Amino acid sequence: MILTTERVDRETFERGTGWALRPEGACRGDVCVPLTAAAIRDDAVDVAAVAESLGMPIVRHTKALAALGPASLGGRALTSATAPDLVLPDLDGKPFDLASLRGQKVVLVAWSPY
Amino acid sequence: MCLDSMGAEAARPYVERANPEHPSLLDVAHIVDERFGVVNIPNSVWIDESGTIVRPVEGAWPDAPEVPEPVEGAPPATAPGRMGEMMAAAGKIVTDRAEYVAALHDWAEKGAESRFALSPEEVVARSGRRGVEEATAAAEFELAQHLFRADDLPAARPHFREAHRLQPDNWTYKRQAWSIEPSALEGPLARFWQGPLPGKEADWAYAGDWVVDATAGDPANYYPRFKP
Repeated sequence: MILTTERVDRETFERGTGWALRPEGACRGDVCVPLTAAAIRDDAVDVAAVAESLGMPIVRHTKALAALGPASLGGRALTSATAPDLVLPDLDGKPFDLASLRGQKVVLVAWSPY
Repeated sequence: MCLDSMGAEAARPYVERANPEHPSLLDVAHIVDERFGVVNIPNSVWIDESGTIVRPVEGAWPDAPEVPEPVEGAPPATAPGRMGEMMAAAGKIVTDRAEYVAALHDWAEKGAESRFALSPEEVVARSGRRGVEEATAAAEFELAQHLFRADDLPAARPHFREAHRLQPDNWTYKRQAWSIEPSALEGPLARFWQGPLPGKEADWAYAGDWVVDATAGDPANYYPRFKP
């Protein structure tokens, strides 16, 4: 996710990374990673602190613009077989939640015009 | 989902022509690379009724004929120059279309009983390497596409280059960056040029290009073979 500040609100972090912030830590599917006490204060997420716990790299372009990479703990692209949260817009900008397809089989296909 | 930092207008003609009954979404930042481990197009992930992935990322031709159809207006592999080289390279790419489609039909019919539905452990194990290098590549790519979308391609290029260096087997990072550079072609094939302009080779911003990288090494470098 793109970062322009060192702290973000919970919802922005969860939507941007797919990791849910719960009392037991940062969770995705059946995997939860404990966080340090400094990680969340007054509902704001200290991105660097959470990134360190999850093995997420931060790449800086300038002081005011950086990107947070995905978690690298476990060494595989998926940390769990539970489908990650994914909300993407359709061509008219209307958000679509992958989870709304629960109850049917889904084939997620990545394509492009190039 | 359409992985294209060019945005909705680049995807729209294809989606309108296909007129799909299923949701058709736009992924300008290649979020599915980060979340699911997508590394090329077309790639797929199968998810069962409970939201559990039963097959992680792999080459995908869900409704494709057994033999690739020629691209409309494409020249033959014997054409002179880069277009001929591109078509020749494309002709050598191995795609296990028939196996993939048969497996998909088997799963659609039998669900969890299908031998192609993998266990959660196998799904995670097959989901592609994600060490610090691959995770950093994803962050570099996200910065690059963000800068490109903010109309600053010169600032984006070094981040695209880093993404390519850190995860050389991620083709969506490469094809995206190459396909937004100037092309010697016009029309629907323009974005497939993905390489230096004739006579301006020194100006090309990247270490590789589509012809060089697609023909390097084993053809399964491009689409790993289908593994039941």
